[in-house]
This record gives sequence, C-alpha cells and structure tokens, in this order.
Amino acid sequence: MGFEKFGKEGYVSQTKITPMLSYLKKNQLPATVCQKCKRTWFPPRADCPNCKSNITEWTTIDGTCRLVTFTEVHFAPPQFQSDTPYFLGVAELKGGFRVFAPISGKISRDMLKPGRQMVLRPTTPTADHTYYLLEEL
Amino acid sequence: MGKVAIIGVGHSKFGKRSDASLRELAFEAYRAALGDAEIESKTIDASLVCSATHYDKQRSPAGVINEYLGLNPKPTFNVEAACASSAVGLRTASALISSKLHDIVAVVGVQKMTELPNEEIQELMGRAGDVMWESPFGTTMPAYYAMYATAHMSRYGTTEEDMARVSVKNRAYGAKNPDAMFQKPILLEDVLNSRMVSYPLKLFDCCANADGAACLIVANGEKARKLSDSPVWVAGLGLASSPMSLAGRNGPLTSFEVSKKAARTAYAMARIRPEDVDVAEVHDSFSITEILNYEDLGFAKPGRGAKLLKDHETELGGKTPVNVDGGLIAKGHPVGATGASQIATLVHQIRGEAGKSQVDGAKVGLAQNIGGIGMYGCVTVLKA
Repeated sequence: MGFEKFGKEGYVSQTKITPMLSYLKKNQLPATVCQKCKRTWFPPRADCPNCKSNITEWTTIDGTCRLVTFTEVHFAPPQFQSDTPYFLGVAELKGGFRVFAPISGKISRDMLKPGRQMVLRPTTPTADHTYYLLEEL
Repeated sequence: MGKVAIIGVGHSKFGKRSDASLRELAFEAYRAALGDAEIESKTIDASLVCSATHYDKQRSPAGVINEYLGLNPKPTFNVEAACASSAVGLRTASALISSKLHDIVAVVGVQKMTELPNEEIQELMGRAGDVMWESPFGTTMPAYYAMYATAHMSRYGTTEEDMARVSVKNRAYGAKNPDAMFQKPILLEDVLNSRMVSYPLKLFDCCANADGAACLIVANGEKARKLSDSPVWVAGLGLASSPMSLAGRNGPLTSFEVSKKAARTAYAMARIRPEDVDVAEVHDSFSITEILNYEDLGFAKPGRGAKLLKDHETELGGKTPVNVDGGLIAKGHPVGATGASQIATLVHQIRGEAGKSQVDGAKVGLAQNIGGIGMYGCVTVLKA
C-alpha cells in the first residue's frame, strides 16, 4: 500500500517510511530509532539529521499527550469541504515529540484548551485511509 | 555589505485586476519605478522576478516578464520565498550589488491570483504546509495562523476584539491609499460579525488574495548618489527560517521565531533598537499576525501586543505607526508583490512623500515579511 493512504487525503505516495502504515493498522504509533545515535524520531524519518545515518529500526510510542493549540476549520480545501467544521491540533507527546493531527469531532470546542491532556490514537476508518487522531483521554 | 540604496519605486493598483495579465502588471510597476528613479531600461543591469510561482500559469515567469520589460539579454531569474519573495528579492539584489556583479538591479514583485478558479486556489492553499504530515488532514493558510491565535489567546488573554482592532486600523488607512484593494473603512462589529473562516479567525481578520505588482530599483552607493537626490539606504537585512511543519516548532506557538531571529540580525546590522523605528510595515496576513509581530519585533513585550493597539501606539501620531498604507488586510496580498510593496511604502515615508499617511520626520523604516506559514522571516531596515 502506498503512503497516499496516510491521512484523509494523502499527497505523497512514495517514501522510505511506508512501513508506518502497517503499524497504524495494528493500532500502534510507530517511530524510527537511529541505530547510531539512538535518537527516536516521530513522525518517523528515514534519515538522521544529526549523524546522517540511514534509519531502518522501528519502535512504538505512547499516545498520551497535551494539546499545544488547535483551530476549528470552517472554510476548507475542496476535498475537505464536506467535513466542515473540523478540528486540527498540535499536541506534545511524552518524550517531547510533537504531532499535527485532527481532533475527534466528538469533543466540543469549549472543551478544547491548550494544555489539555489528550491521547493520540491510531485510526483506520476505511481500508484506504489510516492515520492518527487526538481524542479525549 | 557595501552601500546599497533604493533609488526608485513603483506600485500597481492591487486588487481584482481582471484588466491585466501577469506581465502587464509587472510592467505597470516597472514603468512607475523607472519614472520615479528618472532612468531608462539601459541603466538596469539585471532583473529579479519575485513571485510564488505555483500561482502562475506561466512556468518560469522571469523569462517572459524580463522579455516583456524589454530587458533581454540582461540576466534575470526568479526569487521564490512564498509571501516573502520580493523581500528576499531585495536581499538578493543587495548581495549581487555588494559583490559587484551588478551596479543596478530591478526587483519586480508580482502575482496574479484572482484569475485562478476558486477551487484551484483553495486546493493550492491546502498544500501551503507540509504535504507529507499536515496537508492530508485538511490544512488551510488561515488554519495555521488561527492556531497561533488560539495559543496567544490562551496564554495571554488576547481576545477576538483585540484582533479585530488590527483590521479596523488597517482598513482605515487603506481608505487613504488609492492602490489598496479595499477602500472602505470597517467597524469592530463588522469584523466580529463576519463569517468564521478558521476559529478564532473570521473573514475580516484575513487578508485577501489579489493581483498586483511592485518594483524597486536598487543601486550601489556610487551610482545611487550620482542618479538620485534622495536615495533610501538598505541599512539592515535579516532572514531566518523555521521548520515548515508546525509540529516541528518548539515552544507555546505564541510567537514566530523567524521574525525574532531576522529582527535581531537586521537591528544589529543597522545598529538600531526597536524604539528607533519611525515607521513599520509588518506582515498582517491575518489580524493576529500583526499582534505577534509587535512582540516579535520588540515593539511590545510578549503578550502585550494587543495593548499597543488599545493605546493607539501603532497609529499615526503613536509611538511606532504600523501599516499606515493599509497593510495586507486593506491592500490585498498579491503574494510575490507584498514584500516590495512594503518597501515602496517605506521609501515614500522616508522621502516625506506619503501624503495623508505621512509619519512626520520618518527617517528609519522597518519592513517585516513572513513567508508562507512562518518558515521564512525577513526583516529589512531602511534609512534616509
């Protein structure tokens, strides 16, 4: 399966980190680990900018996080217009990793506030789409 | 850097310019700049065409624009840094001149946006962020800036009304600028009642896509003194980058690190402090951006940007008048032209030719231009 299946509407189909999708489908949050400098990367990356190594080792991380900020999109790109309004957020996970992700529509806007504890969960709503979503803890 | 000055500026009318093509818009600004500098094309050594080329139907637009301006076989190339393209164009021209490769360079900022069908432009805007990690979730330009607004509101208590004050101020100045897209002042309630685009930003918190061009004639010190009675000197140039992905950035997302870093560089090079700035042009792509810019440029302490507005300190007669030409919110934002438009305004201010929006005795001007969603930050200081 190509990487265009990551997200609601993928733009990039070819990458070295395509194995990420199979982790998400197994309800795991994948990261890569640089074998040389031992640093973990999330979102996963295939190349270590520190020691310039090619990274091939995978691990999984905990989805507990705190919301850094969010918005509610009312005016969207054409292919997302039917989903409006929807939330997008940035959250910080354990270990300092940051993620940009949609926030579950089950939460009301008044409940969202920077600093709020949340959880990043893998989701595979259809066979063609797999990603992660910020939800209530 | 060697001495570099701006000896001529030109500006087209910004807005929905269904009467003119990309090359014709560029020509309007170029002709005006040559007239302002009182020189002919033969005096120009090279042109830098600055645009966010993904909006252009014409591929590699420098080719056709240089031809239309009648500048072949002189060197030309495109400079692209999204919304900061022509500010980076001025930086590039300064480097070319300082290195003595050229004596006089025309920086042509231009964009034609309203010709694109709405669907196409929305699709393009959707890819303004990191297409691998962020665009697949339905990002938009306003959504990115809205996230900074949410964070600033939460941390500092900034309100939607505070942000609306930016739009009201800038639209009032736009009404005095014949080149601005919007010529009508608006009220606080107009902003607050306009439709939601991306919470907390509403329609009148956002600048509009536009067509337009602005041109700068940039010269070395010797030529500038010979050709001009009132050269305006490029005193400080700052440029910095931030991760393009929002998740790649640190901190509470209540300020733009690119602006802070670029400002530090530009202030040091120009040997000035924030309080020495007589008039500023800042990147008000959204109302919240102007508030963040006050803080990032050192006009206000972190979290105190909104207070400057309440105290009228960024209006004419205030401590540091900001965007007295209407800013992006009133002028419209023809992406590639915006940076040069800001510089053109400062040149008029420093020469004392800004008419109804003149800041008395302006000698030091600052322009701050953010590229895209904050991955490029450009700060330029000009002096009399």
